Amino acid sequence: MTDHWTHRLSEYLDDELSATERLQIEEHLGACSACRQTLEELRAVVARAGSLEDGTPERDLWPGVAERIGAARPEVAQAVGSRWRRLRLTLTVPQLAAAALALMAVSAGSVWLAKPRRPIMQQAAVPPAAGAVITGSPVAMVEGAYQSAVRDLERVLALGRGRLDTATVRVLEQNLRIIDAAIAESQRALVADPASPYLNAHLANTMRRKLELLRQASRLVAART
Amino acid sequence: MTLTMTLGLLAALAQTQAEGTDTTLAVRAGTRLEVHNLSGDIIVRTWDRNSVRVQAEHSSRDRVEIGYGGVVLKISASSRRGAPRGVDYILTVPAAMDLNLSGTYGDVSVDGSAGRINVESVQGDVTVRGGRSLVTLHSVGGDVRVGEVRGRLEASSTNGEVTVEDVEGEVYAETTNGDLMLRDIRSDNVSATTVNGDIVYRGTVSDNGQYRLSTHNGDVTVTVPTGTNATVAVSTFSGDFESDFPVTLSGPRQGKRFNFTIGTGKATLELESFQGSIRLVRP
Repeated sequence: MTDHWTHRLSEYLDDELSATERLQIEEHLGACSACRQTLEELRAVVARAGSLEDGTPERDLWPGVAERIGAARPEVAQAVGSRWRRLRLTLTVPQLAAAALALMAVSAGSVWLAKPRRPIMQQAAVPPAAGAVITGSPVAMVEGAYQSAVRDLERVLALGRGRLDTATVRVLEQNLRIIDAAIAESQRALVADPASPYLNAHLANTMRRKLELLRQASRLVAART
Repeated sequence: MTLTMTLGLLAALAQTQAEGTDTTLAVRAGTRLEVHNLSGDIIVRTWDRNSVRVQAEHSSRDRVEIGYGGVVLKISASSRRGAPRGVDYILTVPAAMDLNLSGTYGDVSVDGSAGRINVESVQGDVTVRGGRSLVTLHSVGGDVRVGEVRGRLEASSTNGEVTVEDVEGEVYAETTNGDLMLRDIRSDNVSATTVNGDIVYRGTVSDNGQYRLSTHNGDVTVTVPTGTNATVAVSTFSGDFESDFPVTLSGPRQGKRFNFTIGTGKATLELESFQGSIRLVRP
């Protein structure tokens, strides 16, 4: 369910609407529970994103992400204050979820080996969120990058599994099967309801979990090398 | 510093005995303990002295090496032939000492710490009581049990259960194949996710707090304290929702996804189970 104002909620959240528009959207929010719900979810996304560590990519990752999710460069508005220049990034919620998975997949290759280890929870970038307009399954659009990253990590694990004891290999393989089953179930659910924000976010999170486990397995191999 | 470390190492080696080590070293306040143990348990206890007692059981061909340069106290084992067979440590340390412990085949336990703690185990269980500021615990194949933390807690397992009790601070709990049991939590930021397991949360739901509990295959049970003010978002694909008290949806129901408000709705409570039940219960 969507309407004209749904697309303006992130601007509202970023305080980028004119005074008139702000009054109009607040009046609309008073009457539209769906928009109120979407706004709350966007706030949750922003709050969680604010708690993440900042990292500067070595190159502009957006073109690759945009290509995978079929999006144009996001609107970037520069608001110049007296001292600070603020960059605003306006993305829909499904774009955020897809971009997060794509970014994680991009960084899931050999690059991760050189990075300092961070707790699993901190590496899960954008949380599941819902409520914006979805015309397809954003997660499916980054499938290629994800599969490529999974293959890379599985190759590392296959080459190094002889260095791990059988009990550890058994645990890793058992858990990979559990995650694969969850991914398959989520994908089947999405076939029936490709626009579901929950299912898209849930699938993205489960796929991220698989990447994390493969990374963890590769770290164990590296530690035994 | 090199001289100090060398002297410390030599002193420790000098006291190493066949099939056992028992030595005590004075340490400066602020010293961090680092222990890596390939095989065997690590037990850490605390006392109010500025010294560390190292007790270790090991074979006569293995020896315990202790290096100390004034900042980090490093303990590890070596063998005259190949890898050490296995060392069981009992370490008694100043309560405020920061701990960095890792093991491959063996359990790790810490009791009574008031410092920062980082524990990683591959095949063993991790049990911790205490910890301040930041406590990070992980096991691949074992369970993680932790309590009495004051600060940020990150507790995770791959193939085990994670049990968290009596924690004041941010809580991040995660496992792939196991349950997450969170009890007596006082926090305004909780995240608990598992793929194959139940989640139980009993603790505060603070105004403006954020709580996210998510499982794929399992139930989510939340004890909602009286007086809670929360906006609750429930999402499931093929699961059920049950509540001990009546709720009124605050928006359109989209399949099995809906929101409702308790009290003023200040906190955010996201509850997700792909194919399990989501239950709200009263204390």
